[in-house]
Amino acid sequence: MSAFFDAGHYDGKSAVRRKVEVQIIGRQFFLLETERRHGPFAFSDIEYVTHKDDADVYGLKEADGWRLMLSGPVPSDLSAMLPARRNYGGWVDRLGFGKAAVAFTLASAAAVAVVLLSPQWLAPLIPSSVDEKLGDALVGDFGGRFCSTPAGDAALKKLVASLDANPSDLQVEVAKIDMVNAVALPGGKVILFDGLVKQARSPDEVAGVLAHEIGHVREKHVMQALLRQMGLAVVLGGIDGNSGALVNNLLSMSYSRESEAEADAHSMKALGGANISPIGTASFFDRLSKMDGSASSSTSENGIAGYMSSHPLSRSRKDAFEKSIVKGKNYKPALTPAEWTELKTMCTQDRNAKSGFGFDFN
Amino acid sequence: MNDDLSHRHSAFRFHGSWLEFARIAFPNLLLTIVTLGIYRFWATTREREYLWSKTEFIDERLEWTGKGIELFVGFVMAFLLIGLPLIVIQLISQGLIFRGESILAVVMTLMMFLLLFYLTGVAYFRALRYRLSRTYWRGIRGGSDDPGFQYGLAYMWKSVVGWLPIFLGVPWSMISLWNDRWNAMSFGPHRFSATAEWKPLMKRYLLFYLVPFLLFIGAVVFGISMAASGGTPGTLGSTGIAIGAIFAIVGVLSFYLFLPLAALAYYSKYFRLAVGGLRLHNLEFDFRARAPDWILFFLSNMAIVICTLGIGYIFMPYRNWKFFIDHMEAYGEINIDDLTQSETVVAKHGEGLLDAFDVGAI
Ligand SMILES: [Zn+2]
Repeated sequence: MSAFFDAGHYDGKSAVRRKVEVQIIGRQFFLLETERRHGPFAFSDIEYVTHKDDADVYGLKEADGWRLMLSGPVPSDLSAMLPARRNYGGWVDRLGFGKAAVAFTLASAAAVAVVLLSPQWLAPLIPSSVDEKLGDALVGDFGGRFCSTPAGDAALKKLVASLDANPSDLQVEVAKIDMVNAVALPGGKVILFDGLVKQARSPDEVAGVLAHEIGHVREKHVMQALLRQMGLAVVLGGIDGNSGALVNNLLSMSYSRESEAEADAHSMKALGGANISPIGTASFFDRLSKMDGSASSSTSENGIAGYMSSHPLSRSRKDAFEKSIVKGKNYKPALTPAEWTELKTMCTQDRNAKSGFGFDFN
Repeated sequence: MNDDLSHRHSAFRFHGSWLEFARIAFPNLLLTIVTLGIYRFWATTREREYLWSKTEFIDERLEWTGKGIELFVGFVMAFLLIGLPLIVIQLISQGLIFRGESILAVVMTLMMFLLLFYLTGVAYFRALRYRLSRTYWRGIRGGSDDPGFQYGLAYMWKSVVGWLPIFLGVPWSMISLWNDRWNAMSFGPHRFSATAEWKPLMKRYLLFYLVPFLLFIGAVVFGISMAASGGTPGTLGSTGIAIGAIFAIVGVLSFYLFLPLAALAYYSKYFRLAVGGLRLHNLEFDFRARAPDWILFFLSNMAIVICTLGIGYIFMPYRNWKFFIDHMEAYGEINIDDLTQSETVVAKHGEGLLDAFDVGAI
């Protein structure tokens, strides 16, 4: 059986356009010119290329530039042998536009949900040896900035032991850096900056901040944040640079706010267990809030500043700590005056510790 | 068969309509959103298929044969080859800073920037190569056998040499790199030859370069002439101050107005010279858009985007291509029998690096 149909043809070897007739013979066809016959070609090797002008353009597998251009009404016995037109691309064409859009939406929502929620379950599954190695790789000896004196170490040890049931898998250090800050890092590492210790007016203030950082360690926040960031980077990698980074930051920020609240809750609980008054921590936040200016803004957290900041505002954190005071409870100081002096002067006494920072935290 | 182009008014003609394009762009936007951006590779491909198929060169439409999956694979490769190492290097250098090895961290960061700089150059080259190798006309395509690694080095040193003499070498480096890029490209059996000159570009560049100085001098001259005519603020009173304020506002506005205009004027000359220096066998090219055309194009693009609250952004590929084709011109002749298939290798992946850095092609 054969059929003839006028078509345009490029052989892919030269740019000469040929007028041909398509001659179908079973699952193969020939292209007939006035004096030449091209082929046979197998219909199974025919690919859809594009639509141009008023013609559908087909190519041939493994034949670079080979083209068959069919315009006008194509006889049904020929069109039945040809591959379907491509419109959106494989999957969308197979499912149909509406169904594909719904399926993609569901898949995307699921992917984001997994990335946002799974770190909470995954972080505890990461072996502590990995956590520790990461912490060691990151911190090492902190460039020799850790301070150490026998009496100061003992005071710090006592403070940690009163705040945590398993102090042995924590590594708390005071670093000779003149900044009011403290950080929790992988591997149970907590670093108090000397600037914070010096600025504190009582050991209770240091205890509250330390317990907060221990809270980050115990709740595995560092590993969670790391996993979440990596997951979001992969999932949102497809979005254009800026919008992706913005979405990424917003999502991870809201989670860091949640982590901060969790760490504060942990801190209040630990202070209560150690019979240390939270009023010291509250007054510490009060002083901080005067420094960062949030006291002057509205007390409600509805403002943009409250939403966008990565840390809960010091003002609201102060209120939370104040509320956790139990009336009539017999609080005792976190350290004796002698111990407190030793801790406070530890970095001044330790002449071997290097000072300075040369890096910045947020 | 010889096509003599000298008597035709334009060898390039664009037959697209923005309504047809909208029917591609809007579903693309929707699918891109619900796939968290992953569909954009297929979206780009669909748009190019349309734009190419509506572009006529002499007597035949162009074909875009690139695939969405190629762009996607290119993007994933860029992520694995650059994105991941970047994250790891950032982690390591942070760890180094923690350990107090700031110099090592600085060296590593510097190396990273150099590598990115190099890869950006390679990406420019490969994007052009990819586009030519996927563009067919009469069943013939373009391409290049050069992988672009040498070009990456040239990109580095020529850019730096362009910046060194207080940025006065920029026109030279831009033109010279354009020539390097196109001299490595071919279409069919013919190699492009790019011999654009940079010297005619200097006048426009100096105009752009000197705009801030000229405005400053203008302000000074105005001030002196005011003073010379006896118009001191004391004698003129409040009206004098008001006039001064108005002139200050006009001065600031003109700075923000003149600088982009001067930049466009420079770019229009650059593109005209660059395309004008291009030759393919017996074909010569010309780009007829002059500075006012570019400025009008730029302003209407801004108006479209602003008036549609940003939605008009999806029409920018259409507008850019139409502007490009409407002003392209070719002279000379093509011998269709001589135009045989390109023997350059075809890379299997798309514009990954370029896509990752989000820089324009051509
Ligand atoms: Zn915290």
